[in-house]
Amino acid sequence: MTVSTIQMPAHETTAQTGASLVVSTLERMGVDVVFGYPGGAIMPIYDAIAGSGVRHYLCRHEQGAAFAADAYARTSGKVGVCMATSGPGATNLVTGIANAMLDSVPMVCITGNVAQGVMGTDAFQEVDIMGVTMPLVKHSYLVRDAADIPAIIEEAFHIARSGRPGPVLIDLPKDIQFQTTAETRAFHLPNDNAIADSASIRAAADAIRSAKRPIIYIGGGAKISGAVETVREFAAMTGIPQVSTLNALGTIPTGQDNYLGMLGMHGTRAANDAVQASDLLIVVGARFDDRATGKLAEFAPNAGVIHFDVDASEIGKLRAVAVPVVGDLKPNLEALNRELAAGDTINVRDWSDQCRAQMAQCAVDYNAPGDGVFAPALLYQLSEMAGPSFIAACDVGQHQMWVAQHCAFSRPQAHITSGGLGAMGFGLPAGIGAKLADPDACVVTITGDGGVMMNIQELATVNRFKIPLKIVLLDNSRLGMVRQWQEFFFERNFSEIDLSDNPDFVKVAEAFGIEAFRIDHKDQVTDGLKRLLETDGPILAHVIINPEDNVWPLVPPGKNNSEMMEGSR
Amino acid sequence: MSNMIHIQIDRADGSLQRLIGLVERRGFEIHGMSMTDFHTGMGGDWRTLTLNVASRDGTRCVDNLGRQIDRLFGVRRVEDTASANAA
Repeated sequence: MTVSTIQMPAHETTAQTGASLVVSTLERMGVDVVFGYPGGAIMPIYDAIAGSGVRHYLCRHEQGAAFAADAYARTSGKVGVCMATSGPGATNLVTGIANAMLDSVPMVCITGNVAQGVMGTDAFQEVDIMGVTMPLVKHSYLVRDAADIPAIIEEAFHIARSGRPGPVLIDLPKDIQFQTTAETRAFHLPNDNAIADSASIRAAADAIRSAKRPIIYIGGGAKISGAVETVREFAAMTGIPQVSTLNALGTIPTGQDNYLGMLGMHGTRAANDAVQASDLLIVVGARFDDRATGKLAEFAPNAGVIHFDVDASEIGKLRAVAVPVVGDLKPNLEALNRELAAGDTINVRDWSDQCRAQMAQCAVDYNAPGDGVFAPALLYQLSEMAGPSFIAACDVGQHQMWVAQHCAFSRPQAHITSGGLGAMGFGLPAGIGAKLADPDACVVTITGDGGVMMNIQELATVNRFKIPLKIVLLDNSRLGMVRQWQEFFFERNFSEIDLSDNPDFVKVAEAFGIEAFRIDHKDQVTDGLKRLLETDGPILAHVIINPEDNVWPLVPPGKNNSEMMEGSR
Repeated sequence: MSNMIHIQIDRADGSLQRLIGLVERRGFEIHGMSMTDFHTGMGGDWRTLTLNVASRDGTRCVDNLGRQIDRLFGVRRVEDTASANAA
């Protein structure tokens, strides 16, 4: 794929340094928020950013900056921007870059580097960050001439948000940041969001009309392409039951008729059984991730596949596809809806009745015995009390799955999670990014005692900028998901999962200047959540839960999705 | 079974590393490689790489590899011209 198809002639402007060009180009492109951390090799850019129109949020670790930029992008629909210095600053961004790549999040990462004259000499804080991140980015640039900076930044933004979005790295040697230039070049950028041909759409419609047990399998691409309403129209028009991946939760509102919930390892039995029994999977912006499919060879064994995706390389990557529909989801699904509306009515009522009956049997009993806090019940109540502006910024682990299973989502932006990478430490900085992107939303970071410790320094960022973020810290004094797997798949050999020497999280939060309180009894949950949601400023609820509670249901690794294990706690 | 893939790719920092890294990361071995000098044309310099590749475990599809290469920025054209018996 080539982007720089037409290189425009250079034109004269007022002389500026490379650093100044970086900031002025960001301003011109409407970037108002940047997350970062300064250092030696990026000092010229930080010199230029002071007093500019770009609001810089100083995080306390570059990984926090990258995660915050990621969540800012997911919430705002804009490109997230983060920056760091060379060497350790740049390598600290790497997990955040990988996170954005695996969840297709548009992000531009700007790194300083040592001057070109000493590149390749193992200079102080020199790392080949372009080489390090090559498998993790959609594209990357090493800037060799300050005159290219505006064009490279524009191109980077275009690449980050077009087609299948992803992170783009721009590495700027220090001498380039100091270089003065009066010439800049610009590029003409093509629109590469292709639209499928009408024959594919007709073939998809024919396959849908012929199917007896179709399922719509919705992935994160639906949100990314702005196709949420179109997917909902498609589902409503046809009455075909729907399942969702983790990253697509909220595309169909929780509890909607014919919506069977999440499929996969911790999905609902109704979703998994329906997919396994289906004769046609209509895949919308999903990628047959192993956490969704279970044992791939036995996934939906009798189903043909229609695959809508903007990324042609996803077609047939893991599952043979009968009808590929490559291109931007929204216009392609709109075309499908028109094609279906023009033909015979789809009648899958017997099948959808059967699916709904099974879904009714999946109702959760939140009345757990004992006086302790039952995390699924608390999370269910939290999303009910928070209302339609609720945004859950999840960390990774058991609580992440409980959020997916028990919180209600009416829009996909309401659920921010590290789906592909599963990066512990995401929750707290993600909450920061989401709250800054949508100040009117009720943003709640939901984290665990393992995950919160991986980026706990970002409490200082919350306090510095007085970000009114709500934090629910579910503390089982264990690495709960690892403990659960050791219990069932490693003969209860509990190895290195004990976190019972955690600090007092209430005191930790207070030391960072953040109000905090503890919930350790189920009778305290309602009042505690009320306090959490009604407090104006940042606040942390430290919730003690049973270390032996597990996430149910569960498809064991290597098994197909019909072989679910179930339990009560 | 090995396949010959011809790739037209722009002159840019890291372009070869990006391409070869992708091929290996996606489960293919590179059995042979050659490349032309740079040509100058619309949008800057480019050259053609020819790779002889084979799936490491015999299960990966070269068509899919071609699509993954094609989505790299700076790649102008990808052709999978012929299949040959691998040694």
